[in-house]
Amino acid sequence: MVFLSFLRIIKFSFQDIYRNIWLSIVTITILILALFSINLLLAVRVISETAISAVKDKIDVSLYLKPDAADEEIMALKGQVSNLSQVKEVNYISKAQALEFFQEKNKDNPEILQALQELGKNPLTPSLVITPKSAEVANELIGELNKIESDLIESQNFSDNQLLLDKINSLTDKINEIGMIISLIFIFSTLLVVYNAVRVEIYTHREEIGIMRLVGASNSFVHMPFLLSSLIYTLIGTVAAVFIFYPFLSLLQPYLANFFAGYNINVISYFSSNFIKIFGLEFLAVALINALASWMAVRRYSKV
Amino acid sequence: MIKLLNISKIYHPDVAALKDVNLHIKPGEFISIVGQSGTGKTTMVKILTGEERASSGKVLVGGWDITNIGQREVPWLRRQIGVIFQDFKLLPKKNLRENVSFALEVCGNTPTKIGSIVPQVMKIVGLEDKQGRYPHEVSGGEQQRAAIARALVHRPKILLADEPTGNLDSINANEIIELLLRINRFGTTVVLVTHNREVVNKLKRRVITLDNGVIVSDQEVGKYIL
Ligand SMILES: Nc1ncnc2c1ncn2[C@@H]1O[C@H](COP(=O)(O)OP(=O)(O)OP(=O)(O)O)[C@@H](O)[C@H]1O
Ligand SMILES: [Mg+2]
Repeated sequence: MVFLSFLRIIKFSFQDIYRNIWLSIVTITILILALFSINLLLAVRVISETAISAVKDKIDVSLYLKPDAADEEIMALKGQVSNLSQVKEVNYISKAQALEFFQEKNKDNPEILQALQELGKNPLTPSLVITPKSAEVANELIGELNKIESDLIESQNFSDNQLLLDKINSLTDKINEIGMIISLIFIFSTLLVVYNAVRVEIYTHREEIGIMRLVGASNSFVHMPFLLSSLIYTLIGTVAAVFIFYPFLSLLQPYLANFFAGYNINVISYFSSNFIKIFGLEFLAVALINALASWMAVRRYSKV
Repeated sequence: MIKLLNISKIYHPDVAALKDVNLHIKPGEFISIVGQSGTGKTTMVKILTGEERASSGKVLVGGWDITNIGQREVPWLRRQIGVIFQDFKLLPKKNLRENVSFALEVCGNTPTKIGSIVPQVMKIVGLEDKQGRYPHEVSGGEQQRAAIARALVHRPKILLADEPTGNLDSINANEIIELLLRINRFGTTVVLVTHNREVVNKLKRRVITLDNGVIVSDQEVGKYIL
């Protein structure tokens, strides 16, 4: 008996999809569009977040040291700085290395190299390049560094850094905030569209639903075929969205790689490594919304 | 079989569709309910099928108190009461046989049972030869017969007919009434809501007249008196 009902529910569900094939296609198309645009939004966020964190990774502070500082003293200072909780890593750049970098940086500028040669000695100072754990603690770090009293330290490049840091932090905060709001509005309206599509689908069955109730079909029997149909729509929609979105990403990837040359941005690998999380969650969310829409709509038309 | 005790139905504070109605319908009766438009006839039918709840009073169907029947119990009530309407309510995309067997399918009956009941009811209503036709391929009278067949699949003790001849010419209307009488002879209680004076006068059965939500006359061998 239960098994029989189960088979009939499946039969009714497929009949419903098949007999209204155009409406089914429209519903599925709406689902695909909705999922596609949500994934697009996600891709945009992944890209912007990678870009932001790439910028933030570039943040560092330098302590310039006296040229005649002894190695052991420098190493002691380095150890002291490394112990600060905000520090991710400290690199010691010796006088010779600083010169190398300088020459490399100015290799297309013969006049500067010439001037350096004429000087006859290495005018650069050794330094400690300190990378903070994150951009957010950079200011804290600077405060800590200011507290260090050591006659090794010749100068610091802190002041302009602080300004820049504040700017970067407030800008990225704003980007995240706006992105979040846009995403929420977008997701909300997408869900509304999906919800409505299912309601329209079921509206076309109102007569049938009314008759089912009229002749004594139980509540669950009236609801089940429509719930099943909406689940099938969701499944087809999600799978199709995956198959459309991946080629789209591969088309996009070369442009991204080009635009963000030097940064490691790979949206495809992001989606691949989070595949289950992203598409599974989308499937669940859409299935839930569909089921809700279906349940509400059927309930409405079965009030006879 | 059916007892309405002090039934009132108030849709809006100023719209009382039924006012303190008392009615006792015995098993096997064939009763007609007449009255002008908007006097609460359909409301009475809806209360009996569980589509509406009475605002006050008590409703008993075959000893079952359905006054405050819950949504989950309504299907069980519907399997004991057959209903037909003026507009037939057949599914256009199913043929007549499918329309009838649909009622059994959605209630979880086995194919064997469906296979034995459907031909029986189709025979009762005289549609054996037109089972494969779609609603738009048969006359209004035949559509109403199919609707009656569908109402009979659960072997109901009560058949409610809300203006079943409203969309039919007099020949088809008479045939439907004949069919209802035949079903009544098998022992089914029939409640016929109608506007049709000719039909009521010819029946010579019990007639209830409603006016403005109140029963104004109840005659054992009634005439249409409005
Ligand atoms: N769902 C509703 N909400 C509000 N008022 C309603 C509702 N259904 C019916 N009514 C009102 O209740 C009264 C009785 O309606 P009902 O449908 O029972 O009349 P009726 O006797 O069947 O009329 P008719 O012969 O035209 O079918 C009418 O005044 C109608 O407007
Ligand atoms: Mg009416």
